[in-house]
Amino acid sequence: MEAAELAHGALWTIREGFTYPNEYIYWTIHIVVYPYITGLVAGAFVLSSMYHVFGKEELKPVARFSLVFSFALLLMAPSPLMLHLTQPLNSVELMLTPHFYSAIAAFTIVYLSYMAVVLAEIWFVFRPFIIEQAKEKKGLLGLIYNAMTLGSFDVSEKARHTDEKIIKILAAVGIPAAALLHGYVGFIFGSVKTVPLWKTPLMPFIFLMSAIISGVAGCIVTYILGMALKRNFICGASIRSMCKVLVWFLVAAIVLEGVDLIFHGYTAEESWGIMSELLFQRFAFKMIVVQWLLGMILPLFLLLLPRLTMFRAFTSATLVLIGVFMMRWDVVIGGQSMSRSFAGFLTYKMPIIPNSIEAFREGPFPIGFLMIMPFILLFIFNRVLPVFTEVFNEDDCGFTEGLLTKKDHAKH
Amino acid sequence: MSHAWRPVFVVLAVVVTMLVVRVIFVPSDFAAKNGDYKYQWHRLASEQFWKDFSVKHKGREFCQQCHSELVDKIKDSGHQNVQCENCHAMSDPAKKSHPINLKEDFGYLLDIGVDRSRELCKRCHAELSYRPPTYTTTKGTVKFKMIDPTKHNPGVECVMCHDVHTAGFKTTGK
Amino acid sequence: MNLSRRKLLKMGLLAVCGTVIPLSALEIFKPEAAASLIHPYSEKKRWAFVVDTTKCVGCGMCVKACKLENEVPFDTDVQRTWVERYVQLKNGEVIIDSPHGARYGFTKNDPQGHDVDEAEVAKGLFVPKLCNHCEKPSCVQVCPVGATYKTDDGVVLVDRKWCIGCGYCITNCPYFARFFHPITNTADKCTFCYHRITKGLNTACSDACAFGVRKIGLINDPSSEVFKIINTERVMVLKPEYGNEPHVFYIGLDDIVR
Repeated sequence: MEAAELAHGALWTIREGFTYPNEYIYWTIHIVVYPYITGLVAGAFVLSSMYHVFGKEELKPVARFSLVFSFALLLMAPSPLMLHLTQPLNSVELMLTPHFYSAIAAFTIVYLSYMAVVLAEIWFVFRPFIIEQAKEKKGLLGLIYNAMTLGSFDVSEKARHTDEKIIKILAAVGIPAAALLHGYVGFIFGSVKTVPLWKTPLMPFIFLMSAIISGVAGCIVTYILGMALKRNFICGASIRSMCKVLVWFLVAAIVLEGVDLIFHGYTAEESWGIMSELLFQRFAFKMIVVQWLLGMILPLFLLLLPRLTMFRAFTSATLVLIGVFMMRWDVVIGGQSMSRSFAGFLTYKMPIIPNSIEAFREGPFPIGFLMIMPFILLFIFNRVLPVFTEVFNEDDCGFTEGLLTKKDHAKH
Repeated sequence: MSHAWRPVFVVLAVVVTMLVVRVIFVPSDFAAKNGDYKYQWHRLASEQFWKDFSVKHKGREFCQQCHSELVDKIKDSGHQNVQCENCHAMSDPAKKSHPINLKEDFGYLLDIGVDRSRELCKRCHAELSYRPPTYTTTKGTVKFKMIDPTKHNPGVECVMCHDVHTAGFKTTGK
Repeated sequence: MNLSRRKLLKMGLLAVCGTVIPLSALEIFKPEAAASLIHPYSEKKRWAFVVDTTKCVGCGMCVKACKLENEVPFDTDVQRTWVERYVQLKNGEVIIDSPHGARYGFTKNDPQGHDVDEAEVAKGLFVPKLCNHCEKPSCVQVCPVGATYKTDDGVVLVDRKWCIGCGYCITNCPYFARFFHPITNTADKCTFCYHRITKGLNTACSDACAFGVRKIGLINDPSSEVFKIINTERVMVLKPEYGNEPHVFYIGLDDIVR
């Protein structure tokens, strides 16, 4: 059989038992990565809002960084979708003739409005710096900065005060927007009535919780790495505060995902026979060991142990990142691994060797590129905007820590 | 209000651009037919596309134009419900063997050939205990003839003895 | 004054009901009225399909005809219609298969590629499948761009020019009647041979069937065979629990059919 005539999906699907003849794994690695990235977007934004809205002073050194990080991730969020479409050039039709009965049609609106909120907030946060640069810099860079000012050079006390107020409003508005962006991804899955593993009203909330833990964990890891690379002081108070957020949302994620699993097992509908085989045998390592034990239970345990160290925070956050990725994998690939006939299984095998366009597109290289891109973007943004310059020195840190507990303050 | 409105203008500009683009690029016949946005939101020209799709299986009436003898024969036989194209339309264009170019002369698009393999006959006549034992023709309910291909003259083409078009034995052996 | 008016109204109502009800009672003996008890009767043209599994021998000629008629590459393992084989062994085990969608038919008692002794077989049946052309197609509901739709006569079609290829419709079909066409790279599915039925022809698959398993017709037309079968025989649809209101009706289904 010629490669051109291979059915879409046959390249990476192995079928066992009885599966419908047209049944393949149609949603592959791209759809695993897409909710992972939007999850990081939502989580990072919520973290930055915690400083702006709830006034958590100790989060100040990560507030700007997590906002820009969220934006960098947001820019890359549609790319896995574009890679996934078999007719990517037609994707503009999502804007031309949206069919709002479909959850996917909401993408443009949710995505663009969220983008507007994030961009506006970034503009207000960095406005004084941009204006300063626009006045100083010449040449191309100067032009860019001038364009970025949107023609306003007002840095008076009054204007700065207005900025502060608007940032607060945008950060507050951004929280539900971020929740919507990710909740709707959960809805896309939760509303598929033909896939028993997905079909639960809890899905948007499960996705939201795992989004926040992955976003916060992503910020912890990137912040620690970024500071360590630049040999800057890492503020323990910020890390501790982020870990506290992580713990709360980890608990929520464990509860929601656990409830979902228990209901599937307890109600034991027709699909449970095959679902239990999937969860406890075929996906046992991926789901029980990596997603649950390593990705949620162990980090929670590590974070709850007294006297949190930097190393322990870093390890837990990394584990959470791996666990959430595994969760996306288990949901997307696992859901499709059960044949809709409930009498067979499909196994996903990613094509590694790029011996055709399809194999390349579905392989690890574009995905690897996608996952690295946000960090490259972050690096570029850091060149243009002072993302990391708001660094606490030991005194600042000790001060905010003093606001937390007196005992911690005494240590420094 | 001064500078704070500037991002709003940017957003408005984007929205207006998108609306303009929409007006230009949405096909004029894109509509929710009968007001049914849920199930009938589509480009109306697409319906015509499917209506204009080429008809390929033209049935016995088409073959009859030249092969009236064979068609008459099969109409009276146990194979009366079997279409010519069932056996003679080739899924592999390489097996096309019709002497006249049907595509150019008649606008007929299928590849016609002759398949004498046992596999073809086995599709109906290999014995399976769960195959219906009878079938219906104009002559009433007829017993469905099935054989065990491993025991019934294996290795020999069915058409050695059987005349497909009469669904009986060949009278003049070749 | 008031009382007598009420009486008059009552009498009038009784008289009207008395004449109308017996007459309307006769209505249900009309087949179209009987049909309306199952499906709200309307004059609107609506295509439907009947599959009589008791007659199917599993030759797969329908699959072959469909692939050739509708230009679905023959050697690719995707199909608009296919035939499934269900074999129940005497030990209770059920083996199901549909090798290559049965485009080469079933020629051997080898479900899932393993030879089975005829003596072990308790029962078996062939089930041809195709798009169910649902009244409430969940695949159409989820198309984000309006590239798939239901026609006025109930046929669900795909707009090849407009499809973006997200696969959401494929995922949302309970029957897996949809797939990506290997040449156009867009979602594809059975069209009930829309180019044929709109010209008064049969579908390619029902023409190719020598055993009268497959029938296409208008569900609201009392003269159509489909109408007669649906309204006089015991028919079933596949997976009604999804609420799609499928319009392919089956005779002789079994509980092992999925």
